[in-house]
Amino acid sequence: MKEVKRILAIFLLAVFCASALTACGESPAVSDSAKSGETVETKEPLKEGTSEEVVEQENITINFWHHYSAQSPENETLMNVLIPKFESENPGIEVNAVSHEWADLHDKILISAKSETLPDVARLDAAWIPEFNKMGVLVALDQEMNDFNEVSQGLLESAMETVQIDNSYYGLALNTNTKILFYNKKALEEAGVSVPTTMDEFIATTKKISGTNEAGQQIWGYSEPALSGWNLCPFIWSFGGNLTNPEQTKASGYINSDETINAIEMFAELYNANAITGWNSGDIPMTDGFGTGRYLMILEGPWKIAEMAGAYPDFEYGTAMMPAGNGGSASVLGGEDISMFNTANKETSWKFMKFMTSEYAQVEMSKCGQIPVSKKALENDIVKQADFAPFLEAIKVAKSRPTVASWSEIDNELNSAVTAVVNNQKTAKEAMDELALKVDKLLSE
Amino acid sequence: MLTRTTSNKLRILSLLLPGLIIFGIFTIYPILKLFIMSFFEWDLGSMFEQSFIGLDNYKNVLMDETFRISFVNTIVYTLVTVPSQIILGLLVAVYINNIPRLKISFRLIYYLPVITSWVIASLVFKYIFNTEGLLNYFLKDILSIAENNIRWLDSRIGGLSVAMLLGIWKGIGWNMVVFLAALQTVPKELYEAAEIDGAVSFTKFKNITIPYIKGTILFAVVMLTIGGFNVFTSIKMITGGQPAHQTDTVLTWMYYKAFSTGEFGYSAALSFIIALVLAILAIIQFKVLKRDS
Amino acid sequence: MRLKKHILLYIILLLGVIVTTLPMIYMISTSLKPNGALYEFPPRFFPSISEITLENYRYILNEGKFYINFLNSMFVSTISVTIAAIVASALGFCISRFRFKGRKQLFGFIIVTMIIPGTTLILPQYELAVKLNVINKLSGLIPFYVAWVIPYSTFMIKGFVDNLPHELDEAVYIDGGSIYTVYFRIVLPLIKPSIASITIFNFLTAWEEYPWANTVINDNMKRTLPIAISGFFGQHQFTQWGYVFALSALSLIPVILVYIVFQKYFVSGLTAGSVKG
Repeated sequence: MKEVKRILAIFLLAVFCASALTACGESPAVSDSAKSGETVETKEPLKEGTSEEVVEQENITINFWHHYSAQSPENETLMNVLIPKFESENPGIEVNAVSHEWADLHDKILISAKSETLPDVARLDAAWIPEFNKMGVLVALDQEMNDFNEVSQGLLESAMETVQIDNSYYGLALNTNTKILFYNKKALEEAGVSVPTTMDEFIATTKKISGTNEAGQQIWGYSEPALSGWNLCPFIWSFGGNLTNPEQTKASGYINSDETINAIEMFAELYNANAITGWNSGDIPMTDGFGTGRYLMILEGPWKIAEMAGAYPDFEYGTAMMPAGNGGSASVLGGEDISMFNTANKETSWKFMKFMTSEYAQVEMSKCGQIPVSKKALENDIVKQADFAPFLEAIKVAKSRPTVASWSEIDNELNSAVTAVVNNQKTAKEAMDELALKVDKLLSE
Repeated sequence: MLTRTTSNKLRILSLLLPGLIIFGIFTIYPILKLFIMSFFEWDLGSMFEQSFIGLDNYKNVLMDETFRISFVNTIVYTLVTVPSQIILGLLVAVYINNIPRLKISFRLIYYLPVITSWVIASLVFKYIFNTEGLLNYFLKDILSIAENNIRWLDSRIGGLSVAMLLGIWKGIGWNMVVFLAALQTVPKELYEAAEIDGAVSFTKFKNITIPYIKGTILFAVVMLTIGGFNVFTSIKMITGGQPAHQTDTVLTWMYYKAFSTGEFGYSAALSFIIALVLAILAIIQFKVLKRDS
Repeated sequence: MRLKKHILLYIILLLGVIVTTLPMIYMISTSLKPNGALYEFPPRFFPSISEITLENYRYILNEGKFYINFLNSMFVSTISVTIAAIVASALGFCISRFRFKGRKQLFGFIIVTMIIPGTTLILPQYELAVKLNVINKLSGLIPFYVAWVIPYSTFMIKGFVDNLPHELDEAVYIDGGSIYTVYFRIVLPLIKPSIASITIFNFLTAWEEYPWANTVINDNMKRTLPIAISGFFGQHQFTQWGYVFALSALSLIPVILVYIVFQKYFVSGLTAGSVKG
């Protein structure tokens, strides 16, 4: 008898183990509730209707992914100002905001799309919209939301173009930005050079101010934190080059044009002359390098102002437009959009998206360097007095990177090619010719 | 006497069952799934619908230059770290074994790197080997050996070397403990006999110790080879594959292809190739091990 | 002569100790410096006495997330090692003692899975996690950790049980005892040290695991410590090394405590495996 009990007990244990481990449910959706007895801190969302025990007035949770970095003032504003405000205005809705690093966010969304475990809403780099749209995971807002036109008219048309594909809109513009030149005032004065306004001056100045300081440490005239399109495009364009033809169907003849090659050669030359650096694993991170006087010029966005104020409050720097070359002064247009995924709880997600693009939220975010796209917010006094005035000037002449679905892959190939050039493994001509063929193929897919 | 009754069979089954379930679902199923995945194209859309493309994924992997770079990197990593760890670990074990006092304290300290997590150890190494870091300061400004700061992390060889140093640093402790244990099994009489014959330390080590712990050495070789192919976190943290995937190992490259570009089929084929290579290597090693013991 | 030789050995071992501990000491000394001083020139190994600050620790400890990440790691590691100990000891016992059908194949499978690096299976395991709906859940970590440590644990325990004399089992069977009596009354008490050693080993594995947790977990509040540490590590902006290393030092404390308390078992566990070969 005792035996039977024991066998029973062990079988039960086995079944328990198996069921506890495999949790439950077959439908893969992140926003489903955790029924498997997790720890207390898991504030799991319950979606209406999907749970077996729908309690009255159950909170709806929106999962919102973004890449405001975890320790940034933007994230502080989001967590401590915006979300509490939204939740108090919309009782019964909770926002679960998740911060990812920029590159991680792209990867996480890619993989979540494949495995059908997407969040409801995400803040996306405008350059990703074509790629995710091609995967078919973004909601066409103009078709689904009745008041889309109303909302969209309140936002800058130029910014809304980033979410427009084939006459449908796959998100709302959230903020815009571009990069301008930040320079170390003291160092340029001591070297007796003026702020470069042309490409030739930029090259000469960068070489001139590079060298060593009193402590015998290397000083670099300019720093670029990576060698991808975001970093290279301003130079390629200012040199008069391009990545693709205007129709974005062909790269040969553009990405390997003389102008583009000259821009890449300039990077390689300055790097080998110890005048620029920043993209290597062992380099000083950009903000630290600039703040401690090791990098004397950088090309950066409006967020840098708040960041410098936080990390190096006493540091004196000036700003200027991107130096102009044969192609004029052309910086790269950045900016983020807020999009909804097709697995989302659409009504509540839309409420949150409208809130994030509202005047209130846009003004709050402008305080930490996010340039608003809401027309009302742009008229607001706080915004008008914000310190991103020089950026507004630069945005007018800034250009977009190619808006194609394969941009992430093209960007990656571009990075590999230019890395080989600066490390003298290939000449710029060789590398860009090879690259042109690869990009042609990616564009035709 | 234990009989083959039904109730006994049931009892055995009841003890095996929890393990079989977990092992079956979470290990055996993924292995089979990996094999199946490697014949399908998963590039577009959801991972739940895909089309059969035969051996194309394998072809793509083997033709891929970056895969070859990462494979060579992994082989170099294994060839360098495995012998280094064994030699250094064995030396430390022999030394500790021969001192009269403080054996336990030394063993404790030498084991500390093993229990330090890979994430933490990698970050510390990255910080030390930074171009502006402590090591370069020491080499350039204190010792004046180097004229300029050495770019440890910025080249293929440099980045891999730092990862290898980390692997060796972290692995010595494990080898030490394994060999210390093995050294206890060598009968003292053998050494005494050798001393009467007038053998010196090194001869004793070569003629008595090494043959006696051969089995353990082979065991360590097998385990460390697996570990060498498994290197992932250190590369991801220290160089992230930079510059331009030159420092990727097979697993970081596989992870990149799977989770950054979504090419599941490619990654599955790559994983399967690696598993196969290791299985063959291990079978050879085990065969040698069996023959010798 | 003998004394001289010993002194030489001590000197060599002490030099090794310096190399071994240097990185950890540097980590702790960096965590005691004010955050801004980390890119100062010249870099110093130790901060000056007046400079020493607990600011970084205060920041980490005041941020509520630390405790949550810590508890997550604790929860996942403890549950995983407990299940693994129960399951692996039963498996090891059966494989060692009984000649059941498929025994050879099962043991063969266990050996083979020991050989395959865990990370190669990350892709199909991810697919499985999606199907089981455990993405972004702590329950998406535990069964996978258990499955990873089962082969090695079973292998070790089988080796240990192999070395136990069969006479004790026989005596129990003659007295009318069952398999359960042998397992619970005879074998389990005798293999306690071996279970302890694999448990410590498995605890380490689960405590420091990075790739899988990084793949499966999204929410900040569900991250385990390794993910929390790497999250501090901004790519091209500015890394706050002071915070990174303070958090790292704190996360090492439990492991070092476990290790020092159980170090006796650590060694005996490793020994069993290596001597068996």
